Amino acid sequence: MQYNDCFQLGHITRTHGTRGEVVIFLDVDFPEDYDELDSVFVEIKGQLVPYFIKNINVQKGSKAIVKFEDINSIEAAMPLINCALFLPEETLDELDGSQFYYHEIIGFKVVDEKLGALGTVTTVYTMSTQDLIAMSYNGNEVLIPVNDDIVLRVDREQKNLHVALPEGLLEVYTEETTTPEDGQEDEQE
Amino acid sequence: MGRSIKKGPYIDFRLQTKIDVMNGAGKKSVIKTWSRRSTISPDFIGHTFAVHNGNKFIPVYVTENMVGHKLGEFSPTRNFRGHIAKKDKGKR
Repeated sequence: MQYNDCFQLGHITRTHGTRGEVVIFLDVDFPEDYDELDSVFVEIKGQLVPYFIKNINVQKGSKAIVKFEDINSIEAAMPLINCALFLPEETLDELDGSQFYYHEIIGFKVVDEKLGALGTVTTVYTMSTQDLIAMSYNGNEVLIPVNDDIVLRVDREQKNLHVALPEGLLEVYTEETTTPEDGQEDEQE
Repeated sequence: MGRSIKKGPYIDFRLQTKIDVMNGAGKKSVIKTWSRRSTISPDFIGHTFAVHNGNKFIPVYVTENMVGHKLGEFSPTRNFRGHIAKKDKGKR
């Protein structure tokens, strides 16, 4: 199995108990979707090694306690700490036009409903509070909040991301602004 | 200790004025602000703020569950990194 055919599920954080169980961090939107996982690829020294799962218990906070087959002691589990976990890409659900995975929109053209084609998606910033799509526009990085009202749909055939940018968002990044002086109000036009 | 209820939430006067004008006119354009300490009130819902983080403006689209928080909470001041790695993450 090659890296290009896989997506990163998460990584192993620590051992759990003395019977070879490990705690894994699931770096996904919906960890509960993986409560019946039966196997996973573990990245060991640059190689993806398949491991079969005997038991998985998904916990709060995107964590899960996992018991791998043939890993029966804490000594056997220790080398797996910090190893990344992968799954084949075909196990990802196919999403419809209004939904998308962040990795698949990299390089897509951003098309605004009013302004037309603007730039290309360079990366996606994921934060605990909100996610932002970074678009390259005339040499500037423009950030677009990921929201149903702003990001409308994705056209995978044309590689377009259709958006309805709020009025004035492009000007925030293209026009020069003056910072407020000390002692003045902290809010400016 | 939290802010006294008697005082009410702090919202920058000029920011509140702009919101009131926009709500009156039914407009929703991006509002640039340095006022990270302003509390998000229900009037802000549906508006997009460009909140300065000391370096650049971070757009914040205000939703219902942000009410009561400060604008600065949604505009991180430390470096944040994007990811291109394939993950089971996206807009659903």
